[in-house]
Amino acid sequence: MASRAFGIIASPSTRVRVEGLHDYRPIGAFSFLGRFRVIDFPISNMSNSGMDRVMVFIAARPRSIAEHIGSGRHYNINSKRGKIQLLFTQNNNPNDIYNTDIAAYQENREIIARMHQEYVIITPSYMVFRQNFDTLLEEHIESKADITMLYHRVENAKETCLNCNVLTLNKQKGVQSIDENLGNAKEKNISMDTYVMHKELFLDLIKEARKESSAFTLADIINMKASELDVRAVGHRGFFAAITSLKDYFYANQNLLDFDRAQDFFREDWPFYTRTNDSCPTQYYEGAKVNHSFISNGCLIEGTVEDSIIGRNVWIKKGAVVKNSIVLAYSLIDEGVHIEHEVVDKWAQIKHVKELISTDDKPGYVRRSDIL
Amino acid sequence: MSQSNMLAMILAGGRGSRLKDLTNKVAKPAVYYGGKYRIIDFPLSNCANSGVDIVGVLTQYESVLLNSYAAAGGRWGLDTTHSGVFILTPREKADSGLDVYRGTADAISQNIDFIDNYDPEYLLVLSGDHIYKMNYDKMLKFHKSNNADATIAVLSVPLKEASRFGIMNTDENKRIVEFEEKPEHPKSTLASMGIYIFNWKLMRKMLIQDMKNPDSSHDFGKDFIPVMLNEGKAVYAYEFTGYWKDVGTIDSLWEANMDLLDKNNELELSDTTWRIYTGNTATLPQYIGPTAKINGAYITQGVQVNGEITHSVLSTNCHVMEGAKIIDSVLMPNVIVEEGAVVTRAVVAEGVRIGKNAVVGDSKSENILLVAKNVKGGE
Repeated sequence: MASRAFGIIASPSTRVRVEGLHDYRPIGAFSFLGRFRVIDFPISNMSNSGMDRVMVFIAARPRSIAEHIGSGRHYNINSKRGKIQLLFTQNNNPNDIYNTDIAAYQENREIIARMHQEYVIITPSYMVFRQNFDTLLEEHIESKADITMLYHRVENAKETCLNCNVLTLNKQKGVQSIDENLGNAKEKNISMDTYVMHKELFLDLIKEARKESSAFTLADIINMKASELDVRAVGHRGFFAAITSLKDYFYANQNLLDFDRAQDFFREDWPFYTRTNDSCPTQYYEGAKVNHSFISNGCLIEGTVEDSIIGRNVWIKKGAVVKNSIVLAYSLIDEGVHIEHEVVDKWAQIKHVKELISTDDKPGYVRRSDIL
Repeated sequence: MSQSNMLAMILAGGRGSRLKDLTNKVAKPAVYYGGKYRIIDFPLSNCANSGVDIVGVLTQYESVLLNSYAAAGGRWGLDTTHSGVFILTPREKADSGLDVYRGTADAISQNIDFIDNYDPEYLLVLSGDHIYKMNYDKMLKFHKSNNADATIAVLSVPLKEASRFGIMNTDENKRIVEFEEKPEHPKSTLASMGIYIFNWKLMRKMLIQDMKNPDSSHDFGKDFIPVMLNEGKAVYAYEFTGYWKDVGTIDSLWEANMDLLDKNNELELSDTTWRIYTGNTATLPQYIGPTAKINGAYITQGVQVNGEITHSVLSTNCHVMEGAKIIDSVLMPNVIVEEGAVVTRAVVAEGVRIGKNAVVGDSKSENILLVAKNVKGGE
């Protein structure tokens, strides 16, 4: 049955900035676990929840996301009834402070107002998790709350999820305030920037936020109105990753090398869809040594790979050693090169630098299309 | 048909009974190959890559799965306004009863109406069970440059094997002067690949004559081509070089898979300018576990390896558990090999589970073992 909600995939706030990778594409277009992109997860969550109208807001550098989503057919959304819309937002503001989610919604207000569905579910493009929005919507309707939010309790908030929002909750899981994670405490309720509410309330909030301040975000206006509105929070369990730094990105991938965790996250009844690249299977030559790694299709592997995630069409030559690394599509690790704790961006070639070793505390980054 | 004005018909009706239990439930063109493909992906992808936009797929034997697979033309990009994949099974028509396809030529004859809808200049006839990459547009250019009535793609085979094929004897301009089906003493080594381009207007006329001929078995090789030659039509041989395999038996299917493990294999599935398209699956990438050992393998997404793989091909969602060994074998999709089991020189059919410590296949066997049923665990 078609959902009573339409979806919005929101851009992260401008204060979230991932070193290196972010220079080339928005976080939603980051490669994830070799064959996915981060945005596949929120879109698949919506598709699997029966939502067939999804709006994807893109703030900057739209090419990779536009290409990846294309007609959206691979997300299993009915091509007649349903639609994935890409909504671009202008970014020629003199100051980044104007580039808020509210500004983007305001710009597309008419389109939002025309939606037939009564409810809206907003979820961000820079987080990876599994969530059934259909059950969340039911819970929301049953609770009679004005807004339902999702949060994930983390125990290392000093190092991860920096710049995410955190929720302060009362005993009844009512949201008292929404603030920025400044990394000042270990345990935090990280806001998953996911909101369920009535479409009309959403439109009102946009209007009110604009009245209040041009710099206001959706989180800001909800925070301001937390005392008059019934804002509730639902705790999320299971795999959760917010990609807010290179290190977060690195560990979001690495943590899934724990295969039990990966299997718990990727379930047959909840497929995560992605665009196929039609790569052929991966070829392992004699002499290759591969352990504890995810390998995508289209690779040629002659060297050693351990504790790593290898994207599509990567070539790891004889005598090369790749450990604890994330190598994105079409890269080349030449003969005798040894890398550890590196994120190697697409199309990079590591040839002349024979040793590139970073630490688990501070993974390194090799730029896109660079030759080292 | 915006580009070439050539329509393709893929003959996909055969059962492939020498593939034994692999084709109990599916027709041969739907058999899996190379980890993630089905055999029919090859002619369909070749069509898509050659700019042949309208493809009819002629099916007959156990065709439900094949029909639904091929009908989703989007897999090969053949789903635009001017392209499509159409499944053509034998069907009842107003002027004739329900008839099976009596032969390869008859399968085309029974679909003259379909072809007429598109009013093509040329008709490309293909086989649905060959593994190869070929640019049909180049063949069409050859056909046009010779002002031919028909062109047959041929492959040079070793002389000692030539008597297994339909052999074309040509003059110095590659015009076919004689066609011999499985000759005892072959005069040439140019074997027919079962790939034909015909001028549709002439072909249409000749098909109608063939339909009325009570002595014809309505087969391209046996009847239709010999008649063309007898009537002095211009039939040319287009020589193809490259990888081509008719996987008629378990041994040859296994061999074709093993070819992929060769570093210099000619099929080059990794060539990004001529991709072979297939159905997409929502799976994890392949996971190579902490206890895995891989000595030469061709592995696709969704596979999970914790055991030891030696010189083998593993298809989508296979799972090889700790201590299990896969040697010189092909695992079709969704095969599970439990702890300590050993599989040697075998083709394991889709979904088969091989129990703990079971031993199947033999490194010294002459033929490749087909494992089509679950195998219970051993000691």
